[in-house]
Amino acid sequence: MKNGREAGSAPSDEHHAGGLGWGGEIGGIILFALSVVFMVGGWQLGLGAPTRLGTGAFPFVTGAVLAVLSVFICIAERKGDGLAETPDWIGLVAIAAALVVFAISVERIGLVPGVFVTVIVASLPDRSLSFVGKALLGIIVALACWGIFIEVLNLPFKPFVVI
Amino acid sequence: MDILASFGNGLLVVLQPENLMYCFIGVFLGTFIGVLPGIGSMAAIAMILPITFYLDPTPALVMIAGVFYGAEYGGSTASILLNVPGTPAASITAIEGHQLAKKGRAGVALFSTATASFGGGIIGMIVIALLSPSLANLALSFAPADYFAVILLGLIAASAVSNGGALKGIAMVVTGLMLGTIGIDLTTGVTRFTMGIPELRDGVHIVIVAMGLFGVGEVIASIRGARSGQAAQTVDYTDFYPSKKEWKSLFAPILRGGAIGSFVGALPGTGQTIAAALAYAAEKRVSPQRKDFGTGVVPGVAVPEAANNSATQTAFIPTLTLGVPGSPPMAIVIGALMIYGITPGPRLLTEQPDMFWGLVASFLVGNIMLLILNVPLIGIWVRLLRIPYKYMYPTIIVLICMGVYSLNNNVFDVWLTLIIGVVGYVMRLFRFEPAPLLLGFVLGPMMEEQLRRTMLLSRGDPMVFLERPISATLLAMTALIIVFALYSSAKTRRRTLASTLASNRKEQSNEQ
Repeated sequence: MKNGREAGSAPSDEHHAGGLGWGGEIGGIILFALSVVFMVGGWQLGLGAPTRLGTGAFPFVTGAVLAVLSVFICIAERKGDGLAETPDWIGLVAIAAALVVFAISVERIGLVPGVFVTVIVASLPDRSLSFVGKALLGIIVALACWGIFIEVLNLPFKPFVVI
Repeated sequence: MDILASFGNGLLVVLQPENLMYCFIGVFLGTFIGVLPGIGSMAAIAMILPITFYLDPTPALVMIAGVFYGAEYGGSTASILLNVPGTPAASITAIEGHQLAKKGRAGVALFSTATASFGGGIIGMIVIALLSPSLANLALSFAPADYFAVILLGLIAASAVSNGGALKGIAMVVTGLMLGTIGIDLTTGVTRFTMGIPELRDGVHIVIVAMGLFGVGEVIASIRGARSGQAAQTVDYTDFYPSKKEWKSLFAPILRGGAIGSFVGALPGTGQTIAAALAYAAEKRVSPQRKDFGTGVVPGVAVPEAANNSATQTAFIPTLTLGVPGSPPMAIVIGALMIYGITPGPRLLTEQPDMFWGLVASFLVGNIMLLILNVPLIGIWVRLLRIPYKYMYPTIIVLICMGVYSLNNNVFDVWLTLIIGVVGYVMRLFRFEPAPLLLGFVLGPMMEEQLRRTMLLSRGDPMVFLERPISATLLAMTALIIVFALYSSAKTRRRTLASTLASNRKEQSNEQ
């Protein structure tokens, strides 16, 4: 019966997780690693004395609590209840890329072209919008940002940077 | 009488043209963002926060509050017309609201929502005005140990009910506490965990954490909906006002919803969704129309909406009188106040009376504005919902980038937002909710300071937490919540596992 249940857990995970069998263990392991970093760091910073808690005391204590919790999470997640939603990797990559583009471009080529490219990259996963539509959207948003943020709010952006 | 005079004074503050304008901008932008499906009030507040740093504290606070309740309001408009709740709390409104919309009575549903929100908001405001002064007085006698216990209770209460289960919720809170220690330790002046990066010396800015976890995360999660596309229900304006009978049936539910909402909203860690759900469940038992619940009845729309909005306002009670936020949006309010150098807590009422009472009075003014925005001008929002989301989300991403960059005019902050956003999205997939992390992040430094003070005062004896009656009571409540939450999440885990297995077996047998 136990074997049957484990064998049956594969389709149940697929039902929830869109094909990924693993779940919160990964999260638990990440948190455990993070907690070790803060515990070691806290130890090095110095725990101090009970009367005068040192700089490292609070990170060390919270790290220790998190270490215990993450172990329990890993144990509890062995049964696994799958992912909360089907991951949208294309969306994730597109949005991450858009932020990367903004970060690289805004100081190098200026706000207007930077925003234009950011909008194009962010809208890439949407296939219902033609490339002309994406370019138009990019131009409108870029010009609106220029008007609102530079002309009205006087934020210290440069609209264009001549390379 | 005292309260009335203070309230009148607050009304004078909020009626100054500048404050009035920012109140309007707040509720308008809040409604605007709240109407967009998938983007909740947290993302709305995070996006508005960079702008508020250019303002004085009072208009800034009035505007942040306006965005918060405006977004909750806009969320229900979206939930009625699309059946896609703009905010989680609006999903309760959607139960009856969307049924009414399907019957072609979307106008009536929207009108009832507007009235109920207004009524609930006013009830919440009265509760704040009556309760806050005495609660602040009580809090003046708090010692550091008591503060530590209140913060702990707030954190545990807020995280134990999170969607992924108590264990993960509490783990996220602790992670937030840990991340809050990054930067210079204010007591000793030593830098912690900056990895030699100079930009991290002042710690991670709360806007970056909020934008990453909620702004970036929610946009990624809602793009798929944009691709599938969904058209809004049309609103028939000839049928906008409820019939006389329905009009009468609104009154009692609004009072009941407002009362439940203001009580639940003031508790730490509950929030509007729970308030709306509780009020709806209660109304389902007592309403004369209880048999028709689920088919689209006017009181069924009014009750959650009144509870939602009154809870939104009373959430400010613990935030402003104790300095302990009960929910993530309130954590942002605390973060914003601290950026202005204002310590929220019992002294805020006496030291910043104009700000406190101005805020309370702004709830009245803001709710009137919302009533105008949502009854005669409802057409704007209906039209806005027709704009496909595919045009919206790239714009939102640009606004997030601009907001984060303009904090310090530094690209580093954009990179940090990117990292937090991606990690937050992946953690959310594994049912690690971002909200408790933000709460822990904001409250971490306060908690550490109170812990240090306590230990100094008690000469290193931790038993002081159990010897002081206030902190002992609060810690006992915290322990009870932990035990209860672990027990019930273990129970639901077993149940959902069993039901998933059962439904799988059913599907398999159906296929055969």
